[in-house]
This record gives sequence, structure tokens and C-alpha cells, in this order.
Amino acid sequence: MRHVQFLARTVMVQNNNVEEACRILNRILGKEEIFDQFRRTRFYEKPYQVRRRVNFEKCKAIYNEDMNRKIQFVLRKNRVDPFPGCS
Amino acid sequence: MSMKLTVLAGINCLKQCALNAATPSNSLMHTSACLRKVEDRKEMLASMPAKDEGTIGEKSVDIDTLIDRKAKFFPDASTATQLFNGIPFNELPVVNIRVSPNNTIISVTDYKGVPRLIRSCGIEGFKNTRKGTNIAAQATAVTISAKAVELGWKTIRVKVRGLGPGRMSAIKGLQMGGLNIVSVTDNTPVSWNPPRPRKQRSL
Repeated sequence: MRHVQFLARTVMVQNNNVEEACRILNRILGKEEIFDQFRRTRFYEKPYQVRRRVNFEKCKAIYNEDMNRKIQFVLRKNRVDPFPGCS
Repeated sequence: MSMKLTVLAGINCLKQCALNAATPSNSLMHTSACLRKVEDRKEMLASMPAKDEGTIGEKSVDIDTLIDRKAKFFPDASTATQLFNGIPFNELPVVNIRVSPNNTIISVTDYKGVPRLIRSCGIEGFKNTRKGTNIAAQATAVTISAKAVELGWKTIRVKVRGLGPGRMSAIKGLQMGGLNIVSVTDNTPVSWNPPRPRKQRSL
């Protein structure tokens, strides 16, 4: 389905700050993996390459999840205001 | 202002390189022609900015603070009729920027999509690898925006398509050329079930 032009993937410029608008747009598109998909489909990705990439992504996601859990565990605090003077 | 100066300096440098390459050599014997070719290439590569991977702003990690900001960054149903400089949003002229790794093509259309101006880095006078630089894109954007202002189109919408070094600098160039940019739209064609692309480059 085609999206409505100038409604989808559009950022309005505030106070003539074009750079910020571009940054927001690029950040959203990068996070949504739209740029990644664009780059990936410039050339044919052979099935073995797809398998390798998907497996790598799976491993990375598992590692990141565990690592985040570990960091949260090390950084845990047992006080009313966990980071005094930081709010 | 300082940005402008640096860009001008960059353009001058490029021009000088082109002149150096164009002037015939003093020696009639061309025994070292191939050596000079290597040197010229080195010089040209040195004059060009470092190759930039990715898109500016894409990789930078910062906390999403857009939600608590009061400013309205995203259009809604009422934006189409909102007035900008006396013109409704959906009747503003559109600047289409087509970016690729090797070139940048900028065209200006009216709100119906009828093209009025077109300009690319190649037309601008940058040839070969220099076409695909951010300096070339910026220079092209500055000239086309001057022409658009002559037509009386000062307030515009921008549509960007593709990835490449000219993506950000073309938009910056439009602003430097005196255009008032209302919105930035991404129009990159992305599909999750595309027809089979061409085979991979052999490196």
C-alpha cells in the first residue's frame, strides 16, 4: 500500500532548524531498519548469507539481553533515591 | 558564514586541481607520464573528504526526548491546509533530491509535480569521482536554490530519495541558497519483498 505523500516519513522544520529535522528523520529511519533494508537490497543476498546474518543477529540479541541484565544487576541500588543529585 | 567560507575554499581548491591537471607539462619527453598520473590521482584523493559511511544522525544514540517536547515535529491531517508564508502546505513547490553514492540530482517541481528546474553535480561541473561528494551536492543545491528564488519560490518542501554523501549537504545547501524549508520527507524506495536484485560485486 502506498502511503500518503508528505504525511508519512515527514518531519516538519521548527524555527528554521533544518539540521535537527534531518537528524530526527534519519534517526527514526535508522532505528526502524529502513536504511539497513535499503542497503541490503542493493545487491542479491545469497541464502547462505541470509542464514549467516540471521544467526549472527540472533546471537547478538541474546548476548545483548544477558549483558543488559548483568549491568542492571551490578548497578542495582537499594535506596529511596537511586541516584542522588542526578534528577 | 564560516561554513560558507570553508565551502568556497574547498571549491577553489578543486578548481585549482582541475587547472593543474589541464595545463600541459613542460617536458616533451613523456617517460614519467604514468608516474604523474599516479601522483595526480593521489592529489585528487587527498583533496577529497574522507569517505563517510552511513547517514548523519543515524548512528548517534540519544534518549528519545521528542515526546515531552512541545514542538510539533510530525504532520497531521490539518497540516495540508496550514499556511506557510501565505501558501497552504499542500500547494508549496517541492524540491526533489535524488542521492546516490556517485551523484546528486536536484529538481524543483510545483505542487502538481510538473518539473521546472533540474540540476545535478555533473551539470554543475564536477566530473567523475568528485560528483559523489558532499561539496558537489552543496554547490549544486546553492545554484538551484538561486534559480528557484528567481522564480519566486522561496518556501518549499524537500523530498529526499536514496542514500549517499550528498544527503545532508544538499539540504544544507538549499538553506544556504536562501530557501525556506518547511518540511523534510524521505522518499527512499524500500521493499521487504523486492524482485531479485543484481548480483553482488566481486571485490
